[in-house]
Amino acid sequence: MVLSDMSAELIRRQLACGGWSALRSSAQPALESTCYSVLALGPEATDIRERAQVFLLRAQNPNGSWPVFVGDDKDGSWLTSLVAITLRDRVSAIPARLKGLHWLLSSAGKEANWFWKWKFRTADRHVRFDPDKFGWPWFPDTVSWVVPSAFAILALNQLPCSCGGFELAPSRLDRGVEMLIDRACPGGGWNAGNGVVYGAAVAPHPDDTAIALLALRNRPQDPIVQTALNYLERSAPTLTAPWSLAWAVLALAAHRRPITFLRSALLDLTNLYYVEDTSTLALVCLALDHEQALVSLGVTP
Amino acid sequence: MSITRRDFIIGSTALGAGASVSAPFFLPRYHFDRRRKRSRVAVLHAEQYSQKLDEVLRAGLGLFPLDVRGKTVVLKPNLVDYLPGDAINTHPMLVRAAAEALRRLGAKSVVVAEGPGHQRDTQLVLSQSGYQESFREERIRFVDLNRDELIRTRLLACYSGMKQLWLPRTVLTADFLVSMPKVKTHHWSGVTLAMKNMFGVVPGARYGWPKNILHWKGIQESILDLCATVPIHFVIADGIVALEGNGPLNGTPRPLGRIVLADDPVAADATCAQLMGLDPDRITHIREGSKFLGNSSLVAVDSMAEPVSAPATPFRVVPEFEYLYAL
Repeated sequence: MVLSDMSAELIRRQLACGGWSALRSSAQPALESTCYSVLALGPEATDIRERAQVFLLRAQNPNGSWPVFVGDDKDGSWLTSLVAITLRDRVSAIPARLKGLHWLLSSAGKEANWFWKWKFRTADRHVRFDPDKFGWPWFPDTVSWVVPSAFAILALNQLPCSCGGFELAPSRLDRGVEMLIDRACPGGGWNAGNGVVYGAAVAPHPDDTAIALLALRNRPQDPIVQTALNYLERSAPTLTAPWSLAWAVLALAAHRRPITFLRSALLDLTNLYYVEDTSTLALVCLALDHEQALVSLGVTP
Repeated sequence: MSITRRDFIIGSTALGAGASVSAPFFLPRYHFDRRRKRSRVAVLHAEQYSQKLDEVLRAGLGLFPLDVRGKTVVLKPNLVDYLPGDAINTHPMLVRAAAEALRRLGAKSVVVAEGPGHQRDTQLVLSQSGYQESFREERIRFVDLNRDELIRTRLLACYSGMKQLWLPRTVLTADFLVSMPKVKTHHWSGVTLAMKNMFGVVPGARYGWPKNILHWKGIQESILDLCATVPIHFVIADGIVALEGNGPLNGTPRPLGRIVLADDPVAADATCAQLMGLDPDRITHIREGSKFLGNSSLVAVDSMAEPVSAPATPFRVVPEFEYLYAL
C-alpha cells in the first residue's frame, strides 16, 4: 500500500456535492472527513479542492460557525476550527473564514460563566479541574474538552494579527493553553478531558494526546508536554489502529521525535483500503506526508 | 378589602409565572405504555468466557418465544474504552455467541453497533479488546454509531427537557435491537445496565466525547428519554465478570457468573440490580421506567431459569449511591 493508492481511494470517495461522508457506506456529507480529505489531498488536487471549498462555504451557518454535517442544527460546532484551518490558503474564502473565527472567539466552555465556575468549585467537585482555565466545547452550551480546545488553538494561532476584532485572541489562546495543561492525566498525556474522576486517575488516549501536543507545539519545555511526549512515544509502537497511529506520527514529528519506524508500521497496517472511516484514511495520508500536513495545520517542527 | 386594578395585574402576573414554572412538574412525561402483561427473565449460570457460551446462550434463548426470522438485528454491546485487565466492556465471546445464535434463529442480518463514549478511536477499542479478530473470523459486520448517518429524532418522553436528538440510522431502522450491557456500577448513575447502555447510540461525532449533553440534561432523565425513543427488544447482559466500585472505568472486576436474558429492559435491569445486591426501586430510571417502559415488579415477571438471589456481599458503589443497598 502506498500513499498514491490511498489518495486515489480518497478521491473516489468524494461525493457529488463536493464533501465526504464520515463512513464509506454513508451518503451524508460530514465536515470532519471533508476537512481531513482536503488537507490530505494537498494543493495539487485543484478541481477536487475547488468543489470541496464550494461545499464548505455552502455549509457555513448564518452565525459564522460550521455544523457537524449538512442538515445539522445551525448552532455551530467545534468543526468551525477545523474548517478555518482547511480554508486558510483560499483567498476567496477569507470573509467566511474570518466570520468563523469570530464565532470561535465568542464560543467558550460553559465553565467560563461565573455561575458554573462557582458550581464546579463548591458543589460539583468529582472531576478534578480548574474552572478558571477554560477552552472550547464540542458544541455550544457544554463545558470545554481537550480536542475542541486544541483545534481552536491551532485555528486561532493561524491569525496573522490580533487586530480587526480579534483583540481577545491572545488572552483566549493563553487561557486555552492553560486549560490543556490543567486537564492532563496524572501519568502523562490526555484523554477527552477528565484526568482525575472520583479521586482516580483516568487513562490517557493516544489520539487526544497527539492533538493536544500539536496545539502545544510552542511549549516544548513544559514538563506536562514532555511527560505527554514520553507517554506517546511509549504507546505509539503498540498501536494497532491507523487513526491513533497517524495522529501519533504527526505529533511526534512536530516535536522532532523519531517517527521512521512508526511511519513504516502505519504503512504495514493492512486493509487500509477497507477502512470504513474516511477521516482515518485521510489522516493516514496526512501522516505519511507529515511535513506538508504540519504546514497545513500551522505547526512547524 | 378592595382589590385595585394594579393589585389584580400584579396578582395575575405572579399566578401566571408560578403556573408556567410549575407546569412542567405536573405534565405527564410520557404518553404511552409499553409494558408487557408479563415479562420474561432468565438468569443463566456461566462461570467463564469460553466456547461453551454458544451452547449456554442457545439454550437460554430457547426459553423465549423469539421470532427474528427475516429481521435485521442490531446487537448493542457496551464498549466504552480499553483498559488491560479491567472488566469494563461486554466480552466479545458473548457478543459473538449472540450473533451466531440469532443467525441460527433465522435473522436476515446481524450487525454489531456501538459508539464508544470515552475513546474516539473506535477501531483501537475494537482491536485491543479482541472484537476485531472475533468479528473477522465470524464475518460479523460492525457499525460505528459515533459516525453513522444521522436522523433528527423527536424524543418520545420528556424527562430531560430535550425535544430531539440526532440518532444513528442503523439503530433507528433495526427490526430487533438487543442491548448487551456489561453489569457494572457507575459513579454518576449508580448502575449501568441495559437501559443506560443506550447512551452508546448517541453519536459522539455530533455530541462529543464523552456524551456530555446527556450528563447536563440529567443522566437518569436522558436514559428514560432514550429508552422511550429507541425501544430495546431484548437484553443479553454480561454478568460473568461484572464490575463494582468506581465504575464505569475505574472499578474492580467482580466475578458474578451470570448472564441475564430478558424480553423487557426494565425487568432485565431490575434483575441485574438484585443480583448486585441493590434495590431496583431506588434506582431512578428503573423505578420510573417501570411506569411505562417495562416491569420491575416480580409480580409481572416470569423467571425462566435460575431464581434471582442477592449476593452475600452487595456490589460496592461510590458513597453517593450507598442508599441503593437493599435493606
